Amino acid sequence: MVDALVQTKLALPRVRPGLVARARLTEELQRADGAALVLVSAPAGFGKTTLLASTYADAPSVAWVSLDARDGDASRFWTYVLHAVDAVSPGCASPAVGILESGGGTLADVVASLVNELSVRAEDVTLVLDDYHLADTPEVSETVRLLVEHRPPQLRLVLGTRADPALPLSRLRARGELVELRAADLRFTVDEAGDYLNEIHDLGLTESDVQALEMRTEGWAAALQLAVVSLRGREDSSGFIASFAGDDRFVVDFLADEVLDQQPDPLRRFLLDTSVLDRLSGPLCDAVAGTVDGMAGGAVLELLERRNLLLVPLDDHRRWYRYHHLFADVLQVRLLGERPGDVPVLHGRASDWYEQAGDVEAAVRHAFAAGDLDRAADLIEVATPDLRRRRAERVLRSWVPAVPPEVLARRPVLASNLAGALMASNAFEGVSERLDAIESTLASPPAEMVVRDEAEWQRLPAVVATHRSGLALVSGNLGATLRQADIALERAGGSDQLTVASASALKGLASWAVGDLVPALAGYRAAARGLAAVDYVSDVLACTVTVVDLELALGHLDAAQQAAQDALGLAAAARDRLQVDVVRGTADMRLALARVAWERGEPDEAADHLRAAGDLGDDAGLPQQPYRWRIAMAALRESEGDDEAADALLAEAERVFNSDFLPNVRPVPAVRARLCIRRGDLAAARRWAAEAGVGAQDDPSYLREYEHLTFARLLLSEHEATGDPATLEVVAALLERLRDSAASSSRTATVVETSILLALTADAAGRADEALSWLTEAAAPAQAVGWVRPFLDAGPRVQDLLPLLPDAQAFADAVAAASRDGGSGASRAPGQAPEGGGALVVPLSARELDVLRLLGSDLDGPAIARHLNVSLPTVRTHTQRIYMKLGVNNRRAAVRRAHQLRL
Amino acid sequence: MSSSDTPRGTTGEPAGGRGGDWYEIRVQGRLDDRWAAWFDGLDLTRTDEGTTVLRGPVTDQAALHGLLHRLRDLGVPLHSVTRTEPGPGA
Repeated sequence: MVDALVQTKLALPRVRPGLVARARLTEELQRADGAALVLVSAPAGFGKTTLLASTYADAPSVAWVSLDARDGDASRFWTYVLHAVDAVSPGCASPAVGILESGGGTLADVVASLVNELSVRAEDVTLVLDDYHLADTPEVSETVRLLVEHRPPQLRLVLGTRADPALPLSRLRARGELVELRAADLRFTVDEAGDYLNEIHDLGLTESDVQALEMRTEGWAAALQLAVVSLRGREDSSGFIASFAGDDRFVVDFLADEVLDQQPDPLRRFLLDTSVLDRLSGPLCDAVAGTVDGMAGGAVLELLERRNLLLVPLDDHRRWYRYHHLFADVLQVRLLGERPGDVPVLHGRASDWYEQAGDVEAAVRHAFAAGDLDRAADLIEVATPDLRRRRAERVLRSWVPAVPPEVLARRPVLASNLAGALMASNAFEGVSERLDAIESTLASPPAEMVVRDEAEWQRLPAVVATHRSGLALVSGNLGATLRQADIALERAGGSDQLTVASASALKGLASWAVGDLVPALAGYRAAARGLAAVDYVSDVLACTVTVVDLELALGHLDAAQQAAQDALGLAAAARDRLQVDVVRGTADMRLALARVAWERGEPDEAADHLRAAGDLGDDAGLPQQPYRWRIAMAALRESEGDDEAADALLAEAERVFNSDFLPNVRPVPAVRARLCIRRGDLAAARRWAAEAGVGAQDDPSYLREYEHLTFARLLLSEHEATGDPATLEVVAALLERLRDSAASSSRTATVVETSILLALTADAAGRADEALSWLTEAAAPAQAVGWVRPFLDAGPRVQDLLPLLPDAQAFADAVAAASRDGGSGASRAPGQAPEGGGALVVPLSARELDVLRLLGSDLDGPAIARHLNVSLPTVRTHTQRIYMKLGVNNRRAAVRRAHQLRL
Repeated sequence: MSSSDTPRGTTGEPAGGRGGDWYEIRVQGRLDDRWAAWFDGLDLTRTDEGTTVLRGPVTDQAALHGLLHRLRDLGVPLHSVTRTEPGPGA
């Protein structure tokens, strides 16, 4: 995700030679161990970056981020911060990155995840955020405030900024938790100035000269730097300094003029020309400024660096530089003053160069800066398909405010691209009006209409309908969703597979939301086919997750298995073709196969698939995978008799739940309630029912179907305890309503489940014939496909009744056999390792197991320490050993591995 | 796009004539006239006290903050920011 050039944001700036070691400042920073926040706050040019870079150059575990103006977007900010921190403490940020990239949690969740992980690690981490003022938006400061407030003792947070950040500084100051260095501290003292001028730069100035300079510049580092450049090689230093001291022009103006005047004309011209660039490389400078006396750009830059002309290298390879900020501003003002007409031309050349180099963001930025809206619009239109494929909607979205309606009015494809980017970023306001405007343009195309992407133009009517369908879905208008999707499909024809896929998916989603599973399945299968045709493999896998869910709900076990197998094949082929480690969604397909095996009463095969899914790692899973895997694993553990582990897993599942914008048809609290019912903890299940707000008189609604069925089970269990016949009547009525509703939409799994429960209800009421009749109905669709799970999950009584059915003896035997094999109850002693379960080379100690158990909770390090009555360093040491023994590098992976190994 | 994202985008055209309130910004140090282009075409007057007064119409609050940002980024100490009547200064 972080491309090569921008790795420079994460690199610690190299400490340039020729700088004064300011021990008094460095020491103060290094002493700041217990501080909540270390703040270096001073205007531009005071040497903040230099100070921070030299202080932390040799320190261990320093994560550095050089922020820029685009980092005011909290997602981008945290992307960089998490990658930086993870690089120094591998694994600590992967769960947080997962939450951030999947969009399945809030930013507060991202911060909490990072804090939780850091709080149990053995290593300390220093996070330095330089140029924080560029990112200090409300969005970002809210999250940084959380980080400061909940910071783990292991984290030291350092900010370099030109303006005090919007954080509770006075509170931190009052509590003695803030260490700050401000302009007054950063000013060069006379001694330091003397060192800099005479010791380092060998200028041979007198003491009074040094004092005069220090006074005039007020110890401002940037001014001293410029002064050095002006004084070098000058005969009469004292005279120069005297005239400088006597002049009251803005210091930087005076000195920069001196420096520029000293340069030969071609070089001066080069400096002004390249001032429009925010970063410079040899080839880029060649394109923008041309050669200097026959010298190519790269050579010129090296010359400037050697002459100490305020050029800062951005990487270790001397490929990219930038001007010192102040110098760049001064250069630009000179350029504006001398050759204002050249500015758009220079930006235009930069834009061209970046386009050739493949950096479309920079190309567009310079095009806008050149005032060339048409060029910017062209670039955006042409770049969109690739940006979409790379999921870089955020970039597209950032351009939306910059393109005015008049331009969009004559560029319908661009307008559609931007509307799509808004929707993809969940920003739906005003989109309908944008679509209206596009349709206007389509209806009567203006003479000056511009289309740069012919392929997109062909698709446009279909795309607009797809967008309208999406809008309808978001506003809950399912009828309109289906209508517009059908229009889109009609317009798409056979060739536009992407529209076929998106429109079909929208139809699928709309049908699924109301429980029409057959059209929902058709929609999702069509979507998967369309996506496969355009090679969006992870999206095919995402659709397949739902396809498997729906096939299972319809009772088609074989089809479910086939779908998952086929998708795995597709993933394997893609992995080879793309030369990647794993295709995202592969773990989900393994989980799908585990589920099918589970439904067939084959726990060992299910366990194998689950373990394989876990081994693939977080990168292999789609957003819902973490919570789904835990639900499946919980069922497995429960069947082995480990109810505690099952409950812990379900608690985790709740914590990592991610809706991924899909209907939540199997809410985790309801799954937990079923576990409680099976364990006999009816009070807990009752509490769930109250919170979920389910009642026996409720009308069936597909989205609550699972919860209603759970409630019915609760009532049946309560009847076992109370014996109240009225309960049975109520349950029977509820179940029949649910069954009828399910039958009308072919929801076979629900029909089977309700029929079984109705059999149990009748049995409890003493109506034996009715019970068998219901059970026969339940067995009918299940027998043919070996679907034993619904019967296993219904309790032991069902197994007593099954053999009484005529024509179902084989099936009854199968259910009984599955039950004996550990399919449903405490048939395996806890701690007994299954075949194929990996054993640890070095087992965990009892204490380590204690800590491991708590790593699965959301307690942070200090809380775990308190809970176990040990010190935090002890917890940290244990955690480090646990990670090592399990071969993992974060809490979540440790807990998952533990479940896989049945610890 | 924020002003700090495209500071190099101006072609030096003054903001005057686009309406908005007039402001007077006083800063430490003497900035000469060529800085006018950098500050949206405001009029610059150097005083005898070693300060500079920037004066003129500012489109809106966002533009004002953009100006203040640029002053900050130059390291120019601010003395005062005052809304004032249109016309040449006192």
